[in-house]
Amino acid sequence: MDAFLAFATVLMQPQLLALVALGTFAGIYIGAIPGLSVTMAVSILISFTFSWSVYPALALMVGIYMGGVYGGARTAILLNIPGAPSAIATALDGYPMAKRGEAGQAIGVSTVMSVIGGFVGIAVLAVAAPLVSDFALRFQPRDYMFLAVLGILLVGSLSTGSLVKGIFAGALGVAIGAVGRDPLTFTPRFTFDLSLLNGGISFIAVMIGMFGVSEALLQLHHVDKKAIRQKVGRIIPSWKVVRKHLPLSMQTSTIGVTIGALPGTGGDIAALMAYDHAKRVTKNPETPFGEGAMEGLVAPETANNAAVGGAFVPMMTLGIPGDAVTAIMIGALFIHGLNPGPMLMIDRPEMFWFIVGALTFANIFLLIFGLTGIRLFTKLVEMPRAVLISLILILSIVGAYAVNNAITDVYWMLGFGVLGYFMRHYGYPLGPVILGVILSRLLDDNWRRAIITAREDWGRFFDGVFSSPLSSVLLAAVVFIFLSHTPPWKWAKARLFASRIK
Amino acid sequence: MDPNFRGDTDHHDGTSDATPGGYSKQRRPGELVFTFFLLGASVVLLNEAFGISGFGKLSAPGTVPVVTAAIMVVCMLIVGAQTVRLPKVAGETLARDILPWRVLAFVAFLVAYALAVRPLGFLPTTALFLVFGIRLLGRGWVFSAGVGLGALICIWIVFRIVFTVLMPAGIVPEAELVQLIRNLFGGAR
Amino acid sequence: MKYTVLGSISAMLIGATGALAQDYPTKEIQGIIQWGAGGSTDVVMRSVTPHAEAVLGGTVVMQNMTGGVGAIGLNYVADQAADGYTLLMGAENPLLYKVMGLGDKDYSDFTAINLLARGTPILVAGQNTPYNDYAELMEFIAANPGEVRFGATGPGGLPSVITAMINAVEGELDVISVPFDGDGPALTALQGGAIDVMPAVLGAAIEGIRAGTMKPLAMFDVDANERLPDVPTVTSFNDAYNDLLPWGPFFGIFVKNGTPDDVVASLQAAYSEAAQNADFVEMIDNRGFTMMNIAGDEAADFMNRWQQNTTWLLHDAGVTQNSPEDFGIERP
Repeated sequence: MDAFLAFATVLMQPQLLALVALGTFAGIYIGAIPGLSVTMAVSILISFTFSWSVYPALALMVGIYMGGVYGGARTAILLNIPGAPSAIATALDGYPMAKRGEAGQAIGVSTVMSVIGGFVGIAVLAVAAPLVSDFALRFQPRDYMFLAVLGILLVGSLSTGSLVKGIFAGALGVAIGAVGRDPLTFTPRFTFDLSLLNGGISFIAVMIGMFGVSEALLQLHHVDKKAIRQKVGRIIPSWKVVRKHLPLSMQTSTIGVTIGALPGTGGDIAALMAYDHAKRVTKNPETPFGEGAMEGLVAPETANNAAVGGAFVPMMTLGIPGDAVTAIMIGALFIHGLNPGPMLMIDRPEMFWFIVGALTFANIFLLIFGLTGIRLFTKLVEMPRAVLISLILILSIVGAYAVNNAITDVYWMLGFGVLGYFMRHYGYPLGPVILGVILSRLLDDNWRRAIITAREDWGRFFDGVFSSPLSSVLLAAVVFIFLSHTPPWKWAKARLFASRIK
Repeated sequence: MDPNFRGDTDHHDGTSDATPGGYSKQRRPGELVFTFFLLGASVVLLNEAFGISGFGKLSAPGTVPVVTAAIMVVCMLIVGAQTVRLPKVAGETLARDILPWRVLAFVAFLVAYALAVRPLGFLPTTALFLVFGIRLLGRGWVFSAGVGLGALICIWIVFRIVFTVLMPAGIVPEAELVQLIRNLFGGAR
Repeated sequence: MKYTVLGSISAMLIGATGALAQDYPTKEIQGIIQWGAGGSTDVVMRSVTPHAEAVLGGTVVMQNMTGGVGAIGLNYVADQAADGYTLLMGAENPLLYKVMGLGDKDYSDFTAINLLARGTPILVAGQNTPYNDYAELMEFIAANPGEVRFGATGPGGLPSVITAMINAVEGELDVISVPFDGDGPALTALQGGAIDVMPAVLGAAIEGIRAGTMKPLAMFDVDANERLPDVPTVTSFNDAYNDLLPWGPFFGIFVKNGTPDDVVASLQAAYSEAAQNADFVEMIDNRGFTMMNIAGDEAADFMNRWQQNTTWLLHDAGVTQNSPEDFGIERP
């Protein structure tokens, strides 16, 4: 009963409800603008809400978080520029839909699917938080390493052109991620003895450059072309469409909430893994993947919003952040005189239910705000290209600067923008580059931790792997997926299917 | 159907990431130069990677970089060998299809922006960029100045005031200006 | 027209610098936080600054400028004018930059506005480990060489200093040192069983200890801590630690050397008053930190001693790149 009262706090206090609504609304726009991030917004809110009491402060932050994760999809669909890292996979099929004039429909589907994913995440948080966090804690460095390898193998499904070029792009990403002083030993890597490079290259700067600047430069080819007229008649997807994708959305939500709950991986990796999963299980998409498949939109959008609920699991049960945003929220709890940790659930259970409640209402507002204002948003692409291109470039610059208040990030962003421009022209996929950067540290750090723990001994390493069911399953998954990408397997599969048809 | 056939030439500029540009059976203008550039860069990276820590231990900080850079070199060798043998695309020129004057002009603008933003400050540099950028793309002066400055004010309010991103102030006494605005709206703080 | 605009702008500029000494602050102040959002430094700075703003009657805009173990933020502040409009909000790490080869600047280039608080190190172990205090751990390591996994956070971090202390007192331990990129991830790994023992700052471990998800082996201090009075001090196991302790990380606010004295004075007064705010005191206490609230010569002395002790300890342990001697840091 107390739990229910705490859950409904938001509903009972109009001021809190208004703050959740405001947060969600603002979050959608913060997420949509490539330069603004939820992490940034939430850390500024810490100072801003300093003198408030804890409930209103959290209500606003939760709203921004929920809205922000979803908002990235909008610019990904409309402009092919993901507003946030978790929307990279959304652009793959969302933008081709917009090019056909179906942006309204794409945003509608992404909204509904985000809400579904969001609810799955919240449900898992509410029902099984202790269980999930127990499971998440069990991940050892070697398991994170296998997870990163699984992620790297996604290069196969992210590169539609030449696979060799895709692998190159992925490796380039991993190398970019390694630049700077290694965080574990402080050894300089790929710094060419320049102190400028000691701090590494911000991955947000790489992303904004590769997607934002290179897209703007490409658009310069079409300044005189008329913008595509967007059909905005059918925005809300029909029940038939939703039901058709419900099984897939449940699977990808599960991926999202699990990856989100792991401390160290977040919505960006979850969305990419979900995209790969969708590609694997969808036998006959109505439109091929990469050309505007609905499934390619459903998977990342459910997964990244499900990851929100997931990220709160270790935060609320153990005081361990599930991602960057929850890390800042833990700081906010400290400032407001709470002590986030394993005792929070016992000392202050109402905090837990308040968060669950705030997330739930944020998700409901997401549905409302997500399905309204689309018409206005789609006008964005019909804006004169002269203005749009100049604005994208300036927003990219400000956005890259804002990550770390460093002008060097702007230089990197521009450099990678130009590189990305040529890569697009010559058939190199950009998705794997970002994938590589995201996974670089996860792979490298955990590989080293795993092999250090095994005292540099392969035998000891594999003993560890095979004595742990979790590691064994992950290793098996790595081997299976790797083989499924190699020619002999494809050949065997083709033979098998051929004979069955006969 | 040939997976590389996309029906119209528009796709080949790689407008969507999922369908990157380029042709699998032909080579675009400048593609060979770019391939060798990437190959050269990969070799430089591999050389640098060897210098990180050597091969003392599996857990050495240089292990993953060496493997990564080696993969890059191998990939580029394969791509290079394939690209050299391809025939050139008929009817495409570097100046028209890869680097038209507008792209070059904007890249120059961006470089100028990057150089000027620290000494001159965010507000004047961005104002110049937006106004000249929009003008260059074929709009009138009045439209360019109006839209450019209007957009700049919006961006400045969102980033500087709301999100307190401290862009280089340069010659503009921004901090005083912000304090003034704060005093106007916030009264005594 | 053009000239009058330019003229008035330059007049504003001159006016601003001229007016600086009399009534500070005339414009908003930048606070550069060396560490990321949500970390201990961030939390401490963001909770003390609003109280200081109220005293100062100005605005302090706080920015996280991370990277290079805090060196990026430090160098940024060092590049700004010494006018008191850019504050450095940092932790103890810069005092090790020179010997670790991370940079050529440290807090000797800055004036301390306030050293707010210091942390107490504590040695914690995972729940399922067979040892329950420091002495049992030492016996276990002696009996099982090369088996116990210690968490670390890179050279110069708190775990590396504590491990160097243990090695200096007990002789070289045969353990596996597993590096993480912060004490948060390392303590997570401890709770998941990926490492066995971790030297951490009390504030990061206290909630886990209260909940029983990790167990305290010894407090690295000379006196018992009032937050966890039952945890024995390491000096009760081995007297030799008395020479090295108390030691701990700290948080402080700095301005560049050369800042006008009256500006420094008003900042010091503001932060000193802010640090006494009841909410802030409670927050510091809850997180297991010890309030210091010192400035001026007292702060400079504290940092000098800290730097001497720590750099020589690390140097003797062989984890430094340069000798403290090269920078005129005397052996304590």
